[in-house]
Amino acid sequence: MQQNEIRIEQRDSVTVLEIQGDITVFSEPFLNEAYTCASNQGAVKILLQFDGNAYINSGGIALLIQLLAKARTRDQEVAITGLSAHFKKIFHMVGITKFAKIYDTLQEALQKMS
Amino acid sequence: MNVTSDQGEMIRFLDEQTLEVNLPNKLGYERIAMDCTASFARIVGFVPERISDLKTAVAEACLNAMEHGNRGRSDARVIVSMNFDGQTFSVSVMDEGEGIVELPEDPDIEKKIERLEPPRGLGIFLIRRLMDHVEFNKLSDQGNMLRMVLKMSRSH
Ligand SMILES: Nc1ncnc2c1ncn2[C@@H]1O[C@H](COP(=O)(O)OP(=O)(O)OP(=O)(O)O)[C@@H](O)[C@H]1O
Ligand SMILES: [Mg+2]
Repeated sequence: MQQNEIRIEQRDSVTVLEIQGDITVFSEPFLNEAYTCASNQGAVKILLQFDGNAYINSGGIALLIQLLAKARTRDQEVAITGLSAHFKKIFHMVGITKFAKIYDTLQEALQKMS
Repeated sequence: MNVTSDQGEMIRFLDEQTLEVNLPNKLGYERIAMDCTASFARIVGFVPERISDLKTAVAEACLNAMEHGNRGRSDARVIVSMNFDGQTFSVSVMDEGEGIVELPEDPDIEKKIERLEPPRGLGIFLIRRLMDHVEFNKLSDQGNMLRMVLKMSRSH
């Protein structure tokens, strides 16, 4: 069974979720737990840092959409980094970028978000 | 050389240009079809960007075959057959179901975020956007088939 390891790290005002592994329907418990944990700690700016080699499929994108929907009702800002060029393109196609900015690097994300 | 499983041969060449992958109906095993398709497309000269497109399209077609076509049945199979004729790379994904009843509309991300439509319904949209040509609900010996094509000409 596929698992994700997710590290939560506070970088000034930004809560970084460093997500190892593929993002598929099997990621649901891991992603939800990390998001809930970050929210309970009062996160307002959340940066999802993906693994550049990750395989992300429609099941995984659906989880991200659900996370973005929750974040919106809580006035949290969500951004994304660590995507390969291919998944940047896919996220554009689906329209994820309308609700989460995509940054090329962690440094750029932290700089622009704080 | 063929790789065998308890269900017989899992990967085999039908002829020099046609490779067939016979998958168990198990989420996650779409990766095997993705990797085989990617290797084949790389050998015949497609560029990495197009190979990534192909991998996503193959993954989504296999997931649909497992979930919707075969309805999660563990005794069903998904057969992925790929062929390169020098011009076009085509991939067929077959399942044991009845085909798609109604092709979905393109997803509306605003509605999804507002929870006015379910977060799912992305697979076919992506396949159509990423491939040069897609045919749904074709009949084959094995059942329902989705066929998709990548053309070599478009800067590989
Ligand atoms: N092989 C198939 N056999 C039967 N029905 C299918 C098949 N593939 C797709 N469908 C139908 O078409 C619908 C849309 O498929 P699509 O892949 O776009 O979305 P989804 O599978 O529901 O969600 P997602 O792909 O985002 O996880 C499915 O819900 C299903 O009803
Ligand atoms: Mg699907």
